[in-house]
Amino acid sequence: MTRALAALALVLASALPARAEPIRLWHAYGGAEEAALREAVREFERRTGEEVDLLAVAFGAYLAKLESAIPTGRGPDVFIDAHERLTTYVDAGLLRPITGDVPDSLPPESLAPLRQGDALYGLPLSLKCAALYLNTDLLPETPESLDALARAQLPEGTFPLVMEAENGYYVAAILHSLGGQLLTDEGEYGFEGEAAERTASWLAARVSDRTIPDEATGELVQRLFASGDAAAAISGPWLAPDLPEGLHWRVVPLPPLQDGGEPLEPFLTVEAAFAASQPEGDERGNAEAVEALIRFLAGTSGSRIRATVGRQIVADEEAWGDSRLGHDEFLTTFRRAASRARPMPTHPRMRMTFVPVQRALRRVLRSGAPPAEALATGSRDFADDTRPPPAERDPMPLLLVFGLLMLALVGWWIHKARDPAVRLAIKHSIPAYKWVAHAFLAVAVLVIVPLLVGAAVSLFAGRGRDLHYVGLANYADILTARGGDLLGDRSFYIVLLVTVLWTVLNLLLHLGIGVALALLLNRPKLRFKGPYRVLLILPWAVPSYVTALAWKGMFHRQLGAVNAVIESLGGDPVSWFAHFGTAFTANLATNVWLGFPFMMVVTLGALSSIPDDLYEAAAVDGATRWQRFRRITAPLLVPSLAPAVVMGAVWTFNMFNVVFLVSGGEPGGSTEILVSEAYRWAFTRGQLYGYAAAYAVLIFLILALWTRATVWVGTRSKRRAPVGATT
Amino acid sequence: MLAGPVTTKPDGNALALADVRKQFGETTVLKGIDLAAEDGELVVLVGPSGCGKSTLLRCLAGLETPDHGTIRIGERDVTRLPPKERDVAMVFQSYALYPHLTVRRNLAFGLELRKTPARTIDKRVTEVAGMLGLEALLDRYPRELSGGQRQRVAMGRAIARRPSLFLFDEPLSNLDAALRTEVRIEIKRLHHQLRTTMVYVTHDQEEAMTLADRLVVLNGGVVEQQGPAIDVYREPATRFVGSFLGSPAMSFLPAEAKEGTLTVGDATFDSESAHRGPCTVGLRTHDVVVDPDGPLTLEVRVVETLGHATHAHGVVEGHPFVARLHGDQRPAPGDEVRLRPVYVHLFDPESGARIRR
Amino acid sequence: MKVLKSLGVHAIILSAVAFALYPVLWVVSLALSPNEPPGAIPWPSDPSLDALSEVVLRQDDEGTYLFLMQTGASLLVAFATAFVAILIATPAAYALSRFRFVGKDASLSALLATQMFPGVAAAIPLYLLLDAIGLIDHLGGLVLVYATTAVPFAIFQLRGAFDGIPRDLEEAAMVDGATRLQAFRLVVLPTVRPALAVTALFAFMTAWNEFILAATFLSREEIFTLPVVLQRYVGEHRAQWGHFAAGAIVVSVPVMALFYWLQRHLVGGLTAGGVKG
Repeated sequence: MTRALAALALVLASALPARAEPIRLWHAYGGAEEAALREAVREFERRTGEEVDLLAVAFGAYLAKLESAIPTGRGPDVFIDAHERLTTYVDAGLLRPITGDVPDSLPPESLAPLRQGDALYGLPLSLKCAALYLNTDLLPETPESLDALARAQLPEGTFPLVMEAENGYYVAAILHSLGGQLLTDEGEYGFEGEAAERTASWLAARVSDRTIPDEATGELVQRLFASGDAAAAISGPWLAPDLPEGLHWRVVPLPPLQDGGEPLEPFLTVEAAFAASQPEGDERGNAEAVEALIRFLAGTSGSRIRATVGRQIVADEEAWGDSRLGHDEFLTTFRRAASRARPMPTHPRMRMTFVPVQRALRRVLRSGAPPAEALATGSRDFADDTRPPPAERDPMPLLLVFGLLMLALVGWWIHKARDPAVRLAIKHSIPAYKWVAHAFLAVAVLVIVPLLVGAAVSLFAGRGRDLHYVGLANYADILTARGGDLLGDRSFYIVLLVTVLWTVLNLLLHLGIGVALALLLNRPKLRFKGPYRVLLILPWAVPSYVTALAWKGMFHRQLGAVNAVIESLGGDPVSWFAHFGTAFTANLATNVWLGFPFMMVVTLGALSSIPDDLYEAAAVDGATRWQRFRRITAPLLVPSLAPAVVMGAVWTFNMFNVVFLVSGGEPGGSTEILVSEAYRWAFTRGQLYGYAAAYAVLIFLILALWTRATVWVGTRSKRRAPVGATT
Repeated sequence: MLAGPVTTKPDGNALALADVRKQFGETTVLKGIDLAAEDGELVVLVGPSGCGKSTLLRCLAGLETPDHGTIRIGERDVTRLPPKERDVAMVFQSYALYPHLTVRRNLAFGLELRKTPARTIDKRVTEVAGMLGLEALLDRYPRELSGGQRQRVAMGRAIARRPSLFLFDEPLSNLDAALRTEVRIEIKRLHHQLRTTMVYVTHDQEEAMTLADRLVVLNGGVVEQQGPAIDVYREPATRFVGSFLGSPAMSFLPAEAKEGTLTVGDATFDSESAHRGPCTVGLRTHDVVVDPDGPLTLEVRVVETLGHATHAHGVVEGHPFVARLHGDQRPAPGDEVRLRPVYVHLFDPESGARIRR
Repeated sequence: MKVLKSLGVHAIILSAVAFALYPVLWVVSLALSPNEPPGAIPWPSDPSLDALSEVVLRQDDEGTYLFLMQTGASLLVAFATAFVAILIATPAAYALSRFRFVGKDASLSALLATQMFPGVAAAIPLYLLLDAIGLIDHLGGLVLVYATTAVPFAIFQLRGAFDGIPRDLEEAAMVDGATRLQAFRLVVLPTVRPALAVTALFAFMTAWNEFILAATFLSREEIFTLPVVLQRYVGEHRAQWGHFAAGAIVVSVPVMALFYWLQRHLVGGLTAGGVKG
């Protein structure tokens, strides 16, 4: 299906007249790096007369965009990305080898990570790795080791070191120095065993003796170091632009863990310019210009601009001959650090190690689990994420069943169409069809067909675009928890349970708060009714992704407002995302905030349609306020609120933004709901689109059952109702 | 402008329905209605709820299409014509005033649709407003009007159009009693003034009696009787019509007719009917007089005092009965009152049809 | 006693208002003092408009004010989405409210079903579809996708509104000489204006807040919609939260303004929107 559509697109695209188009360059840079790239590109344009279109793509959408755009010929000619995704790109057929000359000034060790087999797929632009930032006011001397740093005499409340201790990218530097690696050369998971345990124990000890702050994110690293609350920081060159003017600091390559040990060996990332492939038959015929651009950017002239303007640690050796660069301490230090760093493996499984590693580390650092036990869960997660897809099956049986079903359906229709009564009914329906036709056509083509195609993907398995038909194997896998414990970690049933809990609690709170506020606002003599209503609707008007990120920030362990409030009241700060209960509460608080205005507004509307004389009658009958609510308001609200509740349940059930952005599933994926779990399978656990699609179909089935059930209950209770409520 | 088949059958009728039938799903609402009205007549369709009177009116308006039969307005067969081509105007029970338009625009709406010149519209609106006393309300919105005022605007909207046929769908049922009588008279006056054929639907027999030139009693989707109101009242064609017209309703007693006499239970009284055998006697409240020697004995249960008259509700020979007494006679519950019939309606006990003499 | 009670009511409402306002103030103070995270009381410690002006007045090499262009693109997409969604949904909603026809129940179920399927699943098929009709990287394509996504809910919403209008009204118009279409246009539509406005607002928000599809479909910076622009401040290694917050304020203001403007209609305009079969 996909392929057929792509082919159709191809035919249409090739029918268009060819014209000289600019070279398209995509990147995800920001700030000075972006400025430098622009300048280098302008220089290239000036020299060659070629035209280049630059596009800064949001990092979060980079891969999805490349994957969808390149095969249809709408992607870039050149894109800039880190080398470790090379194999993924090559496997997906998104890259074209570089065929022309390679500038001699590019050192072979920076080219090696960009090779796959005999082919070279890109030229290195800049090298990135972690180093140690030192606050020279607090630490005039360079410490011998990280342990020496921990012993340094510092003012009260200052952390000796801040680093992202739960992030495999940084932790790998320690692991490497102890002789371990995250992923073995054979692609096996490596974060277990002695070196890994020593790494985890060291981190746990440093966190517990307050050498390193707990739950440090990149943001916290930046804040603590920038404010002088941390004497040292482990970070990459990207930290520098965010440091304030008055701060005195310098960088050194990472020292050893203990005095006299092996220096830490951080990961090296080679940022490279890649030449994107062109769909067959739709070549743009600008291969030479494209390579010229890549050569220019990676070569000496381009490198000089990128180094001076963008402060990049360029790979090109001749560029370093420039005295301004050669004497720049920051750049040369990072260059030195890079020369000792270990290139990140390009194996597609590499990226899949980070999440299991992070989960394992969090178990150790946040929940205090013994390292060996926690690391084993990481290994299990990895095995689960990378398990081979189900075997290919013959699609014939399903096609046959499907064909027979269609045949039966058509037969049934023909049978019905023969019935004169049905014919007459259809004839009478024609005027109505004229009113609905365009809407149903639009919805069918642009909503239903794509959704059906999406659903059909659930019958396929594989990673990325490399899909094969597996029948219902994905469903079988999900429903049997992939052969594991049905109530174990990541089991569909557990996630479903969490999702149901999530939906029910949300709805109860939405309804409770919404109805209560509406009743208060509906009091006839209340003052400031208008302003109150406007302010209470406000949460609805803020885009949910903004809200979600704001709430995530407010629940931050160190920087969040919620802990600030708790502390100002004399309580201990809570590590919100370390436990299921608190993380779930954080999600819940966010979504309640988002959702109560809707229920409030619906209730206000419903209340305004209840005639006053009913209350008067009840008051004459001697009903108390509560009885009036119980006997009159509540029963009359039900018919108006019921549809809102059904809809609200559907929305809450699928409320991706909040769960994904606030808790992100923490701790350990336990607060994940079905949709966010589907998203994980599709995008962070190695692009198991088929598996994710099967999740989506199951979500659909559950919701369809639920709405069916409510309609059924609704009609039953309507039948039982004595006198119809005034509607 | 007048599309549709034009029949040339000059029988002088302004309105003629022949064998009109209508079915909704499984339920048959109209079971073959024949009806005719002369030009300028006020026809009242009356019947209990569910009798099909509203459906019939909607068929006239073109809001429903009959499954069978023909409808003619004037010389035209309009059975299949859409409402806009029928030249009819309708006053709805809910008034159906356009909430987003002022009274003036409400009155002008139909004319604007017909692309009437602005000056003519102005003239008509002023004229109609004068006729109904709406001058001061022209620039208000419907929500700013009282129930009675809305009702007048609804009528005004119909009148402004100058249609060849007016349709009224229970236009008074949302008004209070005093206003209802007032508007009823108003409608009568307008009818005299306009001299246009009107079809008026109501379930209120008093309204029907007071307004109708021609009264059509509907029940269960069939016409029970039609004719001048007074004739229908005096000679109800069926037991149903007898019971429906008049308030309090006609009382019925099972009887046996013999040579010159009627026997109800133990009571026997004279009769001029030629009928022999079992029958049902129908007596309106005012068809009996108090007579100490009267054959019928009313055991009084409830007494309603109206001032000029007294309604005595009770039982005669085991059957519910209401008698209208003079205002000075006020029996107490439990009393027995002897009554003498002065006028008797006889109905067939099986079919309910009137037994002619 | 009465005074106490009324004070209590105000206290409850005010605490709800505080709950509603707190995160908003937090974002605002983050935008105004990007270098100092807001504490317990969200008030900027060292207020400056730097982040806001950097976000809003961002220029590209040619000196074009990119953010302003992107705001324009976003507004265009959102208003067009609202317009197209209403245009498509209104007649269908009317028919579903007024007519009985074969397949009515089935189509209602199908519409409801579209609300239950997680939308992300359709992203790649949609990309191929839009590409086939040449509307990739085109605001028109985005409008088409957003509008159709918004249609099912708009239909439910408007159908409820039409259900609330007595049939008498359009029948009166038809007897007055209107065709069905004229009665719809001249009488029914003006009467449901509040519901139309509220429905349009929801369609507007669908487009205004959407990120994933916009990021996937658009490849020219000058037509990026604002959520895509905002997302760029949250990069792989660096997150410029101050800038993100500043942008978030700019993004939220138009929707807030619309809400403020329509809030009277919101109450009541929504109640009617039902999913009853």
